[in-house]
Amino acid sequence: MAALRQVSIGFPRGSFTAVMGPSGSGKSTLLQCASGLDRADSGAVHIAGQDITRFGENELAVLRRDRVGVIFQAFNLVPSLTAWQNVILLTSLARRRADPSRVRELLHRVGLAGREGHRPAQLSGGQQQRVAIARALLGRPEVLFADEPTGALDRRTGHEVLALLREAVDAFGQTVVMVTHDPEAAARADSVLFLTDGRIVDVLDRPSVDQIGMRLGGRR
Amino acid sequence: MTLVLAWNNVRTDPMGFAASFAAVVLAVMLIGGSGLVVTGAATRDELNGVMGLLVLSSAVSGFVSVFVVAGMLSLHVLRQRRTWALLRSVGMTPRQVSRLITAEALVVAVLAVVAGCVLAVPYAVLMAAFMRATGLAPGGVPVEVATGPFIVALVVGLAVTLLAARVAARKAVGVGPLEVLRENAAQRRLLPWPRAVIGVLALAAGVVLLWLVPQVKPADAAPTALGATMVLCVGASALGPVALRGMGRLLGAVVARLDPGAGMLARSSLVAQPRRAMSAASPVMLTVALACTFLFAVATTDAAAGVIRTGPSAWVAPTLVGSAVLYTVLSVLNATAMTMAERADEIRLLRTVGTKPRQLARMVCWETLIVTCAGTLLGTGIAAASLTMLGKAATGELRFAYSLPQYAGLVLVCAVSGLAGGLAATRRARRGALLPD
Repeated sequence: MAALRQVSIGFPRGSFTAVMGPSGSGKSTLLQCASGLDRADSGAVHIAGQDITRFGENELAVLRRDRVGVIFQAFNLVPSLTAWQNVILLTSLARRRADPSRVRELLHRVGLAGREGHRPAQLSGGQQQRVAIARALLGRPEVLFADEPTGALDRRTGHEVLALLREAVDAFGQTVVMVTHDPEAAARADSVLFLTDGRIVDVLDRPSVDQIGMRLGGRR
Repeated sequence: MTLVLAWNNVRTDPMGFAASFAAVVLAVMLIGGSGLVVTGAATRDELNGVMGLLVLSSAVSGFVSVFVVAGMLSLHVLRQRRTWALLRSVGMTPRQVSRLITAEALVVAVLAVVAGCVLAVPYAVLMAAFMRATGLAPGGVPVEVATGPFIVALVVGLAVTLLAARVAARKAVGVGPLEVLRENAAQRRLLPWPRAVIGVLALAAGVVLLWLVPQVKPADAAPTALGATMVLCVGASALGPVALRGMGRLLGAVVARLDPGAGMLARSSLVAQPRRAMSAASPVMLTVALACTFLFAVATTDAAAGVIRTGPSAWVAPTLVGSAVLYTVLSVLNATAMTMAERADEIRLLRTVGTKPRQLARMVCWETLIVTCAGTLLGTGIAAASLTMLGKAATGELRFAYSLPQYAGLVLVCAVSGLAGGLAATRRARRGALLPD
């Protein structure tokens, strides 16, 4: 059973793309293949000109560490590390030193100034997602993949997290690819891909919430 | 229903059950077997001279058995705290959960006690053969199946298993289910007051025993020193998390400097979860403290009496304490594996954000080495205190005899079994499929 069939898609630099579709449509698989978490049985995934399907385990790890950011619905942070340590984790793993002023600025930007020393258990779900975003942004990745980043959050907190992703695109020119089932979240993106049974069935540019709702068949 | 749930728990955590089961089997075997050897030796008059040594080594076996089984059961119950929380969140009362935990422990205990009693006889025969070979009992020790040792082993095995499970169950259900499910890495209290009181009392009792060592009759000096070591071990393991957090900070800072990424991860998990780390450090401490006290107490009293042991007779003390050491070393492996297995989710997360498999292996190794090192330091300190006082009793000077190769061997064995346990338990998370399904 193939989760994806003949999907061919490019995500332009500095764009914000939402991927939608019913459950089982292959949207998470698309994201996992594109981010190097999973391997496609055939085909190629290029990131900044390199085919990552040829990468070995170590190269994939370095890819995820240095060039790709990943944010999941929940459990994004190492429980024993503080917010600050979680943000600088990837640079430490790469044996580089994170610029403290930039870390502080990022944490400030995501609204976590003064919470640097808190552990994940002491932060709310929304705050944890914001730490994950700050961690992803610190490395200036080629592309940031987010799998239902607002799925575990209430509406208002979800909006704040989406606003941060939008800001990353607008202010830093960050490329963002987000899987979501929420039309309101998808409406924040520049374009929305619709997947069904592992195929791309439609693409909408700058759609409104209503347009997305109609496309999904009026299901809200 | 309880049975279905219990069976389901066994199926989902086979490693934890196997570890607890093995711990109880070996404990019962050790207690029962050394009991058989002691009762057998008591029937022969020519063995009166070595009776003291035999009883001491049996005491060591009994002590480590109780200590390891209690630690293992509590680790086992607390390891499943997510299961208990889940059962409570769907409507089981704390009492029902507590009863479920006790029922599971009872099944493990009964099966393991039976197996342990069966194994006790061949173990006793083996020990008797060793004693004959080393010249401790040239005429041999008659091993007869007597009921006394079995009853002791049975009662101790059942009681310790059930008691440890009940205490851990009370701890497990004392926490709100949501709190557990919400992935609470920040442990609530480093040192709850009952634990602190037990620790302080045990340390105080240990100090009194240390002071008594040179005061009692010369024949009682060695048993008193061994008693001091045991009591100090109890105290140190109760207060251990505090010491371990300090050592975790100190040693972790060194490691984080050598290996920034993996070292930082190792340090932070030790500092955030010192109690988890202590459950792995405890058996190391126990091994080092008891083995050193026993081995070097014999060496110290021999040296004071001008006895020089050569050939097979040099192996008398190591043989007597060997099986207890083997048991604690196995429990080092067990405890490290169980504490590390808890980290599977964290390791997968670290991989998704780009930690290399080798960095993860290094993280596991650093953490295990720091824990081993902390356990060794605590154990060495305890043994040194007891032996110094024993030296004072034997020669009037604050000195004792020791063997560096034996000591180094002990520490090495602990470190190797810790590393093996840690690496094996995390292998799937480090190298297996990244996505759970």
